Amino acid sequence: MSEGALTTLEADAADRISFGGASFVPLVSGGLFWPDENALLVADLHLVKLASYAKRGQLLPPYDTAMTLRRLDADLERTGARELIALGDNFHRDDGPLDLLEADRERLARMAERVKFTWVTGNHDENPVGFAHHGVQVMRRGLTLTHHPVRGGLTIAGHLHPAAHIAINGASTRRRCFVHDGTVMVLPAYGSSTGAMNILGPAFRGVFDRARLDVRMIGRDRVYPVSPKRLITGWDG
Amino acid sequence: MPLHPRLAQWFSERGWSPRAHQLGVLAADEDRASALVIAPTGAGKTLAGFLPTLNALADAPPAGLHTLYISPLKALAVDVARNLEAPISEAGLPIRVEGRTGDTPASRRARQRLDPPHILLTTPEQLALLLSHSNAPEFFGSIKRVVLDELHSLVTSKRGELLSLGVARIARLAPEMRITALSATVAHPHVLRDWIAAPLPGVEARLIALKGGAAPDIAILDSVERVPWSGHSAQYAVPELYAIIKRHRTVLLFVNTRSQAEMLFQSLWDANEDGLPIGLHHGSLAVEQRRRVEAAMAEGRLRAVVCTSTLDLGIDWGDVDLVVQIGAPKGSSRMLQRIGRANHRLDEPSRALFVPSNRFEVLECEAALLAVKAGEQDSEDPVSGGFDVLAQHILGMACADAFEPEALYAEIRGAWPYRDLSRLDFDRVVDFVSTGGYALRAYERYAKLRKMPDGRFRIAHPAIAQQYRLNIGTIVEEPMVRVRLVRGRGFKSGRTTGPIGRGGRVLGEMEEYFFTTLTPGDTFLFGSEVVAFEGMVENEAMVSRAVAKDPKIPSYMGGRFPLSTFLAEGVRRLVATPESWPLLPDQVADWLRLQRDVSLLPQPDSLLVETFPRGAQNYLVCYPFEGRLAHQTLGMLLTRRLERARARPLGFVASDYSFAIWGLADMGGLIRTGRLSLDELFDEDMLGDDLEAWLDESALMRRTFRNCAIIAGLIERRHPGKEKTGRQITVSSDVIYDVLYQHEPDHVLIEATRRDAARGLLDIERLGDMLKRIKRHIVHKPLDRISPLAVPILLDIGKEPVFGEARDSALTAAADELIREAMNR
Repeated sequence: MSEGALTTLEADAADRISFGGASFVPLVSGGLFWPDENALLVADLHLVKLASYAKRGQLLPPYDTAMTLRRLDADLERTGARELIALGDNFHRDDGPLDLLEADRERLARMAERVKFTWVTGNHDENPVGFAHHGVQVMRRGLTLTHHPVRGGLTIAGHLHPAAHIAINGASTRRRCFVHDGTVMVLPAYGSSTGAMNILGPAFRGVFDRARLDVRMIGRDRVYPVSPKRLITGWDG
Repeated sequence: MPLHPRLAQWFSERGWSPRAHQLGVLAADEDRASALVIAPTGAGKTLAGFLPTLNALADAPPAGLHTLYISPLKALAVDVARNLEAPISEAGLPIRVEGRTGDTPASRRARQRLDPPHILLTTPEQLALLLSHSNAPEFFGSIKRVVLDELHSLVTSKRGELLSLGVARIARLAPEMRITALSATVAHPHVLRDWIAAPLPGVEARLIALKGGAAPDIAILDSVERVPWSGHSAQYAVPELYAIIKRHRTVLLFVNTRSQAEMLFQSLWDANEDGLPIGLHHGSLAVEQRRRVEAAMAEGRLRAVVCTSTLDLGIDWGDVDLVVQIGAPKGSSRMLQRIGRANHRLDEPSRALFVPSNRFEVLECEAALLAVKAGEQDSEDPVSGGFDVLAQHILGMACADAFEPEALYAEIRGAWPYRDLSRLDFDRVVDFVSTGGYALRAYERYAKLRKMPDGRFRIAHPAIAQQYRLNIGTIVEEPMVRVRLVRGRGFKSGRTTGPIGRGGRVLGEMEEYFFTTLTPGDTFLFGSEVVAFEGMVENEAMVSRAVAKDPKIPSYMGGRFPLSTFLAEGVRRLVATPESWPLLPDQVADWLRLQRDVSLLPQPDSLLVETFPRGAQNYLVCYPFEGRLAHQTLGMLLTRRLERARARPLGFVASDYSFAIWGLADMGGLIRTGRLSLDELFDEDMLGDDLEAWLDESALMRRTFRNCAIIAGLIERRHPGKEKTGRQITVSSDVIYDVLYQHEPDHVLIEATRRDAARGLLDIERLGDMLKRIKRHIVHKPLDRISPLAVPILLDIGKEPVFGEARDSALTAAADELIREAMNR
């Protein structure tokens, strides 16, 4: 890690997430940096999502992939991570790798030359065509890194696209978030084309011990730890 | 051309004779001219529109479509069909008349395409649909006349843009066709005449204007009660309104928003000791319920209907003897239309009553009264054409047949809204339709249009035509959810968990957006009941009956027309001219006198800016009278500038008349000591970079983009029942906007969005005009306390949406609280 990057990250030390005996740095981009492993964890990139609608006659702007990859590049640069661990739904569809635009394909290839890719599969990309992957999970320092959040053991996962909705002083706001309960952590969706779901909603039923929630909401310029008692179900809960 | 003997006989048997404007249309038709008929309601405009057709087809009409009638309302098409039946059957004319709307059975619609009637009555959307079929040249080729009803209301919207393109196509398929347009009185009739002349160059378009009949008899409610300082409910007037309803046969009570309709209906119902039949009509109620009210009204079974603009146009109800406008009239033309709903007979005066719901509205009612009496018009002019509607039309034309770009471009320029379209923009839109129009040429192999060797464009696949037909039209509904009544879970007792009950009756529909602002347990008025929000279950909003003194009011989108520029001038003049105050109720005149004594009166050609402290905060209030939308935009931009000037603004609130910004710094002091220059603060250059910077983050752009993207065919419409099949797109339009805006801010759809936002929600033009007008004429009045004129806007804080940086600040507050909690452990 470069000097500059180190100081930036050290300044945020108070906002680190302690989980499974390790210390993590949540980034405004939605990525999670793991200093001990020198790895960047991301979930739900959903690459080549908007372009995948073209076959059905919906010619949506094909720039989401480039936006996601550019943010990834910047995160890798800033953290100095040597490894990228992508926790599934990295492509929106199995045939995503075939539909990559040339510029995006090249950027991804350059990235893979610089850092090690640990490519876990998800439900959208169980078998990404022509793309080397590592199956449904990998283990690191006793932690299971996988797509689907399941209880049992210490797990870091994605899949659910968590968002928190809080109300305070009469104002309410809804943002993507990192969330864990000491046993299971779910990362926010990283892809530029993704939406999000309220962590108090039905999709999260049974995932967490709600009495022990640790929630970090992503603001414009920083990540905010918020009190779980401020969470509201809001309209989609 | 003389009237056909059978028609002449029909007139004389009824003791009638054709009126001058009806004969005028007949003469225009004989001279092969188009005609614009401008006449008030009740003048027999419809018959004028059809007289040349009846006359021409009275003997052995040839097969094929002769006259196409287009109206903005389905119901109007049905009603006109019924009205035409009378002369046709009574005069024994061999003419076939049929209607065609979205409700017409598919079998009949298919038959109509093969075997058209002589007269077809339809809507702009159905016209677009018919034109997209390959048999359009045969179907439309025989047309001699196109009748456009209520044209004044169509041309101010995107439906008018679509209609203009359809009419331009008919003009090419049937060059002999002539247009007869029917319109209410408008501010600039010649613009409307240009609109119908554009598709038929070289053909005269004759203006046939009928001066209005008896002048309307209008009064402002002279209440014994105190007129409130602010608010829109007119609660104070309910007992008087009830007494008025009792004295009349049938009263139409117009309000400006659906939530006002709900509230007024509720209070009238509470006051209804005699159990009078009173109805409620607005756009959120279930369709069946609205139809029941309309039917009861037509049969004369109702004594009063509380309604919104949903009843502005439409079917004639002879029995209405009083129209009441509750709340701000907003515009003179709008009032003339509404007042025309009373007594649809030309020779008798319509009767109307204005009921202001607050003090500023008293001034507005007075200005409107003077304008209406003088017959002044302030209707909106037709709008120029957008790229989104153009994209839809171009795809439709490709569905009908391969098109030659040069010819299609020339044809489109014949539509008045697109008269200035550049070839470059036309080509950009064709490219958008074909491949999405992205600088990154990613979709050549999925192109919807293919260029043929002869240079023409055709659709790549028949499925594209099917897709087009499902997405036709320019009316984009806000995403709506059904509101269903279920058994409550008892929020009062603090139990907010447990399953939500199922089943129960559907109360109506409401914008999905509204529910994003609610938290379970919140209460609001809906369908005249107080209900509590329980939660969303599969795209339905579950609510339960609730008892609450202070229900949140549905903040429906739309329905809030801004104060017209014309009436704004009237209000400014009234305020600045003490000689006219005797016209006003004493309490309002006293209020203005007090303002003159303790502060200043706003003058027509300057801007009054008051500053004063109140509690821990400092306020800046000014009075541009430019309407809520322009004020909101101004408030947003000023807040940004004040932030830069370290005035530490916290929020602002806007009304039609004034707006207030509050903050921590002493803004009055900053201005007095020259550290804050009002001339710089209000400089026109705010419409440059500051506007751009704000648009970058503004939710308004996202909302506007969704409409453009759906109309242009980038995003498919949601079709009821199809949501779950997975065939519908599930990417949010916000995501698409963000991706496109960041990468291609000059994309044709972003340009369309920007244009719509500027003229719609932002009202940029009006704001620009005002900034020019007041340039270097800003008067600062520092005060040690609130002024009388500032009271209404400060009372609006808490009732109206307050704008400000509430988003990240809420996160900071929550985080700080967590830290405090951790430190005190």
